[in-house]
Amino acid sequence: MKRRARRARGKRSAAMSRIPRSRFRVLDLVTESLAGLFARPGRSLLTALGAVLGIAALVATLGVANTAGNQIVSTFDELSATSVVLTTDQGFSGANTRIALPWDSEQRLTRLNGVVAAGSMADVGLGNALVRSVPIIDPLGQTEFQIPMIAASPGIYPASRGKLTTGRWYDHGHSERADRVAVLGSAAAQRLNITRVDQQPVVFVGDVSFVVVGILAQVERQPELLSAIIVPEGTAREIYKLKSPSTVQIRTEVGAASLIAAQGPIAVAPDDPSTVRVQAPPEAEDLRAEVQENVNALFLILGGVSLLVGGIGIANVTLVSVLERVSEIGLRRALGAGRRHIAYQFLLESTGVGLFGGMVGTSLGVLTVVAVSAARTWTPVLNPAIPVAAPLLGAAVGLLAGLYPALRASLFEPVDSLRASAN
Amino acid sequence: MSEPLIRLEGVGRTFRSGEVEVNALREADLAIDRGDYLSIMGPSGSGKSTLLNITALLDRHTSGTYRFEGRDVGRLSEGERTGLRAHRIGFVFQAFHLLTHRTVLENVVLSMLYGSVPRSDRKARAAGALERVGLSDRAGFLPSRLSGGERQRVAIARAIVTRPPILLCDEPTGSLDSTTSRSILELFEELRSDGLTIVVVTHDQMVSSRAERTIAMHDGRVTQDTRA
Repeated sequence: MKRRARRARGKRSAAMSRIPRSRFRVLDLVTESLAGLFARPGRSLLTALGAVLGIAALVATLGVANTAGNQIVSTFDELSATSVVLTTDQGFSGANTRIALPWDSEQRLTRLNGVVAAGSMADVGLGNALVRSVPIIDPLGQTEFQIPMIAASPGIYPASRGKLTTGRWYDHGHSERADRVAVLGSAAAQRLNITRVDQQPVVFVGDVSFVVVGILAQVERQPELLSAIIVPEGTAREIYKLKSPSTVQIRTEVGAASLIAAQGPIAVAPDDPSTVRVQAPPEAEDLRAEVQENVNALFLILGGVSLLVGGIGIANVTLVSVLERVSEIGLRRALGAGRRHIAYQFLLESTGVGLFGGMVGTSLGVLTVVAVSAARTWTPVLNPAIPVAAPLLGAAVGLLAGLYPALRASLFEPVDSLRASAN
Repeated sequence: MSEPLIRLEGVGRTFRSGEVEVNALREADLAIDRGDYLSIMGPSGSGKSTLLNITALLDRHTSGTYRFEGRDVGRLSEGERTGLRAHRIGFVFQAFHLLTHRTVLENVVLSMLYGSVPRSDRKARAAGALERVGLSDRAGFLPSRLSGGERQRVAIARAIVTRPPILLCDEPTGSLDSTTSRSILELFEELRSDGLTIVVVTHDQMVSSRAERTIAMHDGRVTQDTRA
């Protein structure tokens, strides 16, 4: 009997000492926060507006910068990033002689996938030989000029993106037969006063004559061609004992420049590629990143400021909401809500506002990117991480903005809150 | 002799505002047994609401000893006080304090959010409490569509739905007309007959006369304790 009574007393005292703690389940927290937001939908929407604008500005900024950067790079690719130039370096023995490029460099390189055209060239040393267009000496005017001569393979014409004013470019047959034909650069033709080739004008280099078959109007690469007499390599080898080409101009497909820059030296100097110097355009990715970095730097600051203003807006409205809901806070505290339960609810509400604002802002930002791209006929480009990260950023802004109001809400004493709301 | 549900010994509450001290409650001694139906009467500023707030753990006493179910409340942590409010105390306010954008049923369910009632049981429990106060047919209404008496009944349902041993009411009929007040008092008597301990703070002699025991207060002191 005594034991039973002791046990009963023990149970009573154990029950007395155990006070069930108040709790707020996650599902209840989410439900209550959503109910809090939907209780005043207009206000919640207006509160979210700050985050909407901030995130929209950020996403649009990043997207437009991405798109514009890509567009700039595409243009750059088309004009410049398809050029690779190979020249020879000093030999590995340290001697001053250059390693010779092979005469069939053009053939070797055009076999590579990604090469559109290739042409080798070399300056031909003419000594003191002058160039004239007619075999007579006119005492009243200058008829002889010092004009450089360049020996080039036929492929130099497409490789340098040349255009002829008149005539034609010589071919491999001319080179193999060592025909004495020449193409004049536009500046050289002007000095020699040759404007047409239909009557097969002849120029004399020293005492050697060359039939002019074409006049070069312009090139996009190797501009020295415009002021030179250009002759086939085979001809230069025979007449001037040219030892080897010194430069190879390669025109690549868009995006293949870096690959050809790596493969080209192996193709022309398989036994020692390191002796071949390569001039290749900067990597497209690097350039794109650089362009985007420059554009982003400015606009990210603007987007960041918008987001900051949005965050302050959320904080401000949440704080006003806390002050308006003093009665509710007092009631919840009286019903058993702990301080942290109150804080969690307001934090989740402001985070929800930020997340919602972030989602709407992301959508608006993406639409802006598409609209701008459509207006400029650009291809819209957006990092796929942005539509995922931006709403989370909005949520983070909402969370930060809700910290102070949530803290204020949690510090209300229940009796003060109820008294204040009753007055 | 068993421990009373509530025991106050020399409990006081002093408010400080700068250099000024106001003794809202002085040396209050009070014991409330389980099943008591008690009214606290007194003029404005007599300390009756302060006494009720301290009893409901909404406020803290600054002197004396307060024991709730044998526990020294002064030694409880904030979490333990909150836990007692969630599980062991029901409170009815003069101003009802219903959430205007929630339905009657949701307002009653709100009381169980911080307790240990499983989610799946809450609606049934809330419906039962509404039935107990005679408002089954108003469960889906918003509070704005209810009369004052109905709102107070919702507040009472919210207070009793967690099945606390004590119901503390601060001027529960203060905002109601006499007919409605009588119906609320009848509800209190029904709840009292179910074994609930009820403490009512009131100005109204009619309300006080329905209680079995009346505490009179004046100037922060308990001046009279009479049983009917």
